[in-house]
Amino acid sequence: MSEMAVTDPEGMDGVRMTWNVWPRTKVEASKCVIPLAVSIAPIRPHQDIPTLPYAPLRCRCTASLNPFARVDFSAKHWMCPFCFNRNQFPPHYSQISETNLPGELYPQYTTVQYTLNPSPPMQSQTMEGSSPNSHPPVFLFVLDTCMIEEELGYAKSALKQAIGLLPDNALAGFVSFGTQVQVHELGFSELSKVYVFRGSKEISKDQVMEQLGLSIPGRRVAGAVGLQKGPMPNGFPGSHSAITRFLLPASECQYTLDSVLDELQRDQWPVAPGSRQLRCTGVALTVAAGLLGAFPQSSGARIVALVGGPCTEGPGTIVSKDLSDPVRSHKDLDKDAAPFFKKAGKFYEGLAKQLVNQGHVLDLFASALDQVGLAEMKVAVERTGGLVVLSESFGHSVFKDSFRRVFEDGEQSLGLCSNGTLEIVCTKDIKIQGLFGPCTSLDQKGTGVSDTVIGEGGTTAWKMCGLDKSTCLTVLFDLSSGDKASTPGTVNPQLYLQFRTSFQNLEGQSMLRVTTVTRRWIDTAVSSEDLIQGFDQETAAVVMARMVSFKMETEDGFDATRWLDRSLIRFCSQFGDYRKDDPASFTLNPSLSLFPQFMFNLRRSQFVQVFNNSPDETAYFRMLLNRENISNAAVMIQPSLISYSFNSLPQPALLDVASIAMDKILLLDSYFSIVIFHGMTIAQWRNMGYHNQPEYQAFGQLLLAPHDDARMIIRERFPVPRLVVCDQHGSQARFLLAKLNPSATHSNSHDMAAGSDVIFTDDVSLQVFIEHLQKLAVQS
Amino acid sequence: IDSKALPRPLDGDVEPTSFTEMFPLNCHPRYLRLTTSAIPNSQSLTSRWHLPLGAVVCPLAEAPQGGEVPLVNFISTGIIRCRRCRTYINPYVAFTDTGRKWRCNICSLLNDVPGDYYAPLDANGKRIDFDQRPELSAGSVEFVAPTEYMVRPPMPPLYFFLIDVSLSAVRSGMIEVVAQTIRSCLDDLPGFPRTQIGFITYDSTIHFYNMKSSLTQPQMMVVSDLDDIFVPLPDDLLVNLSESKTVVETFLDSLPTMFQDNMNVESAFGPALKSAFMVMSQLGGKLLIFQNTLPSLGVGRLKLRGDDVRVYGTDKEPVLRTPDDPFYKQMAADLTKYQIGVNVYAFNDKYTDVASLGTLAKYTGGQVYHYPAFQSAFHNEKLRHELARDLTRETAWEAVMRIRCGKGIRFTSYHGNFMLRSTDLLALPAVDCDKAYAMQLSLEEALLTTQTVYFQVALLYTASCGERRIRVHTAAAPVVTDLGEMYRRADTGAVMSLFSRLAIEKTLSYKLEDARTAVQQRIVKVLREYRNLYAVQHRLGGRIIYPDSLKYLLLYGLALCKSTALRGSYADASLDERSAAGFTMMALPVKSLLKLLYPSLLRVDEFLVKPFMSSKDAEVESIVKDRLPLTMDSLDSRGLYLFDDGFRFILWFGRMLSPDVSKNLLGQDFATDLSRVAFSERDTEMSRRLCDLLKKLRDSDPSYYQLCYLVRQGEQPREGVLLVNLVDDPLGGTNGY
Ligand SMILES: [Zn+2]
Ligand SMILES: [Zn+2]
Repeated sequence: MSEMAVTDPEGMDGVRMTWNVWPRTKVEASKCVIPLAVSIAPIRPHQDIPTLPYAPLRCRCTASLNPFARVDFSAKHWMCPFCFNRNQFPPHYSQISETNLPGELYPQYTTVQYTLNPSPPMQSQTMEGSSPNSHPPVFLFVLDTCMIEEELGYAKSALKQAIGLLPDNALAGFVSFGTQVQVHELGFSELSKVYVFRGSKEISKDQVMEQLGLSIPGRRVAGAVGLQKGPMPNGFPGSHSAITRFLLPASECQYTLDSVLDELQRDQWPVAPGSRQLRCTGVALTVAAGLLGAFPQSSGARIVALVGGPCTEGPGTIVSKDLSDPVRSHKDLDKDAAPFFKKAGKFYEGLAKQLVNQGHVLDLFASALDQVGLAEMKVAVERTGGLVVLSESFGHSVFKDSFRRVFEDGEQSLGLCSNGTLEIVCTKDIKIQGLFGPCTSLDQKGTGVSDTVIGEGGTTAWKMCGLDKSTCLTVLFDLSSGDKASTPGTVNPQLYLQFRTSFQNLEGQSMLRVTTVTRRWIDTAVSSEDLIQGFDQETAAVVMARMVSFKMETEDGFDATRWLDRSLIRFCSQFGDYRKDDPASFTLNPSLSLFPQFMFNLRRSQFVQVFNNSPDETAYFRMLLNRENISNAAVMIQPSLISYSFNSLPQPALLDVASIAMDKILLLDSYFSIVIFHGMTIAQWRNMGYHNQPEYQAFGQLLLAPHDDARMIIRERFPVPRLVVCDQHGSQARFLLAKLNPSATHSNSHDMAAGSDVIFTDDVSLQVFIEHLQKLAVQS
Repeated sequence: IDSKALPRPLDGDVEPTSFTEMFPLNCHPRYLRLTTSAIPNSQSLTSRWHLPLGAVVCPLAEAPQGGEVPLVNFISTGIIRCRRCRTYINPYVAFTDTGRKWRCNICSLLNDVPGDYYAPLDANGKRIDFDQRPELSAGSVEFVAPTEYMVRPPMPPLYFFLIDVSLSAVRSGMIEVVAQTIRSCLDDLPGFPRTQIGFITYDSTIHFYNMKSSLTQPQMMVVSDLDDIFVPLPDDLLVNLSESKTVVETFLDSLPTMFQDNMNVESAFGPALKSAFMVMSQLGGKLLIFQNTLPSLGVGRLKLRGDDVRVYGTDKEPVLRTPDDPFYKQMAADLTKYQIGVNVYAFNDKYTDVASLGTLAKYTGGQVYHYPAFQSAFHNEKLRHELARDLTRETAWEAVMRIRCGKGIRFTSYHGNFMLRSTDLLALPAVDCDKAYAMQLSLEEALLTTQTVYFQVALLYTASCGERRIRVHTAAAPVVTDLGEMYRRADTGAVMSLFSRLAIEKTLSYKLEDARTAVQQRIVKVLREYRNLYAVQHRLGGRIIYPDSLKYLLLYGLALCKSTALRGSYADASLDERSAAGFTMMALPVKSLLKLLYPSLLRVDEFLVKPFMSSKDAEVESIVKDRLPLTMDSLDSRGLYLFDDGFRFILWFGRMLSPDVSKNLLGQDFATDLSRVAFSERDTEMSRRLCDLLKKLRDSDPSYYQLCYLVRQGEQPREGVLLVNLVDDPLGGTNGY
């Protein structure tokens, strides 16, 4: 990819906006069609971000001191750009001057990071020998045992590998489940010991804790063999010491866990003919959450669940036990013919609440040929900021490599952090509607909260139990309806937004990242030129994709295509240059011109054309759409295509069937899968082994180039995409064709050049689409 | 009256001879004894008999070598039974019609002799193959049962252990002894290679154990949902012992250390019991319960009872001797239904409500072992031996028993540990040689016209080898018109067995005093009746007279009233001890019962000191015969005495006993407080002799193990342990002999 321009459109702030200049009024904003939205990667690393070893100064309005504050060095005070309040510097800032600035006031440091002094949840319980704030990371592995032997074997070896990769001080625990749930007491040395829970019965957190002997008051500790008194060596206060029966430092329990996994069998309960295996995923997750409930608040624990099929037993059931009932499809959901769907959704929402309350994360790794109920379970993963990987087998690299990445450290590390909170402060008149992405509203009301709620809204603060380097959130803004002209004196040409993210890194260090950005207000009633220049087409496309997904999920009978079409037409009418009723006169400013194609591809994408996928797949795509950065999300909507040939350097190709040629190799990146597609001639040469002959070295290099590039992409990406290598006219070629613009279909194939491909589809082509658009946009 | 001259049963139980004298084909009395082997011919005669009329049956009594019950296999003919009353063919049927028909001795129906079974008769009407046919020539016989006697394939022997691992169980050392004993018996459990085994332990939670043979070590599975108990694994909680032996051994080896630090004081006994039931219900078998604590959690939880002294002596008192929660009887019914027999081992240091727990054993044909204030340092030998006996003795599985009798009489009530399945069918999920059952008889008609009545006991069971069998005991008794004859042919042992059971049952609904009075009144009535019968002709004035057969009745009656189950009031025995004694006595065979009622007292100091005149065995033999009356007068303060009731030994050291003897027996401990001394063999001739003697005594009846308690004359209150058992003497308001 070295030939491709390496750009970093997000910069150190990790911020991208649909509009980089903002209209002044609510009315003007609504004319923009594309909402005012900001995408933020709250803890994305950047080499230029300074880390300051102290806590930031804060204004009365909660905003932190930032480069946009106006500082009076002689009077030793600063004026907050958000509320214009004057704040006196504290004594330890007495040395500041124009030439002696603290990091947070450097103009280029719009983003700074603070390491915070310890403020542990249980301040009274400081321990000797361990930093009081450094809770070790906690991983509670939950493994489904209702799988065929082979799959279970893959899952087990993945787990063993993961445990081996954990930091020595990380606490690990293990829960297995099938018809019932088994919580393994790894700290019991005499023999292997499990606590068993019925899979068919809803169970409360208190009951789980009581039955595991973890209740702090109440009944005497159940089965508390070898219970020790006083503080535990692993940094948890004495009252929680009972939990160390179940969660042990990885270095201590690796051997035990390995042998537990070795002896672990498939679920032993008989399965009636014509029935599904009884799989109590719901209870298993409740029990896992209940177990972690014994930890002090916000100790940053993850439930890492490996699931091989749908829940069929107890609360959270996805599908009936009867094999003749298929798992619900989009059609069933549409017709309200999915009897378990709503109930299961409620159940997992309850689980999400509990986990968020505890500050814990659910990571879901589902591998199955059929659906596992991700559509229902999504809420628990997304609200807790968990990871999700969907694959068809635990033996597939999509699972195997992704799973390993979770536990690897070093450069490839996902940078898993925990216990995150995002707070947003904004200039008066800017209101927050809500967030898309892996978080939960903390219901913190304030003047910055809009009456309109979209996504996780009604708040100025959000909880992110789990977040990582690539976590990305989309904030939707609104403007207050008041008339600003009537409030003279507050007129300021700049608007400000501040994003404050506190979190704990894997080492247990508490961090705070503050990003303060400013943009210009403009009066769009006068001219829209500046507005158009500030438009970010890619971001707009992604925000539209997120909006349309959200609406499809939440609005009954929502017609996504129609909504997208109408929005696009309105957008083009608003910002296009044309003569009324003359389609041929229609042109778009280059800042906008790519947007219709994005919309065309969005209409055809898995986000809108859900009927081609299962509800689980749809849920999966949308979860990743919502948590990925703009560039990656844009690829999901509109894949990138690179063409490799003898005569030129690799170059971007049109996402069109016309890009296929016999003597070219294509590399398609649609985010979830990467396709290397060999033209017919290339494939023939390769089959004849030319690339192994010295005189055809160039051919060998050509063959290798797309693979090298694919490897680069795969290395950067989580979850690991599926790699498909195929030849023209081969059966796997459909992975490419499905993504290409059908400029040549069976209906117009006669005028295609020989050697290219024809797509058998009734979809309209981009050209037809644009023609229609122009016609409608110019209508008076 | 010279009390020394009064008759005393110093020879122990003597099996009645009259039973087999008249009817030599009768089964041996070890299997079946009648309270009198002269059956009254009329109701009026019965009413003047005053003693219970009935039988005591010990269907699997241990036979001496060579006296085993013959096994008969009717492969081709099927088992021959009366068409009408289902009586099994027996020595008392009559062959007629040149051997083609046989007449049922119970109901008189003429049955056809199956072709395969035909044999001609000799001149006396006896079948010529009489000698080759045990079923015709022996009162006891065992048939191999064909498939029509099975409702399912014969079950394998199955032992399931339910072990309390709460703090008190750990502290007492019980767990360790139990684990070691089970482990040492694994090779001797009956039924190899089919034997099944399983374990559950419990405190406030239930612990199941996966013993799958492929595992390197067992897996412990804890279920804490006490309100909704479930089984955590479909299989492998019950495993084939020979396949999973290493896993079982690993488990038993680690069991004691596994819980050594357990601080849990709770006992979820009820839920644990239900768990065991769920695991076992597929197959049935024997459930051995080891309970140390009062059940405190979940269903069947029990409370401390009997703290309120005001209850004693009132109508509420008997309630304390019955189960506190209907759960126990209901569970017992369910367990029996699924062929599960329960033995309860209770080790309370305080109160464990044996009255409730024992109900489980009572209605499942099991037994109660009680080790009050168990401490392994002192009591481990007793537990070890008794548990080993329980595990290794031949056991009959999934059994039912019925006793038939001739026309005109009928068994009306049954007494012992079992569940009555229909009016006359005793369900016995697991039964062995140490269990006896008693039943009462009544006349259905005003007058019996037959000369003889017949009894037939049939026990249908699965042998440990997997064979389904029917053990049949048949006996005949004459019908008499003379009350004196009834008395002369009375069997004190059988009478006392029935008497004890009736009295114990009475304590469950009446005050102890009422139960005792009832016993005494009946005995008085008997003696008065007998006196009336003979006083005139013998002109004996005011003296008590009694038939030879009942000469010990008065003393045994007195002993019964002084037994742990019946004696005294509140302070004289703890509630648990009383209940345990009651459950035990309800199941005891005659011989053991009589020994418990009137234990043997032997003077042993001379035996230890004197040089042997003959062989050691002969010396032991002779001293064992030399039993003394149970009275203070028998105790010489220069002597060393051994008291033996079959359940424990008490070694009484006279105050003037030569210190040399004490030193030889007790070593350095001889002068200290004997309550702190555990008796063990020492390297002295005297000690060896004594231990040989004790061993000999123990071997004579291995059903229980006598632990040796040491008592020094005048050392109170410990000496009371012995004194209270000197039944001949008046003590604390009780009557003397
Ligand atoms: Zn401010
Ligand atoms: Zn008959």
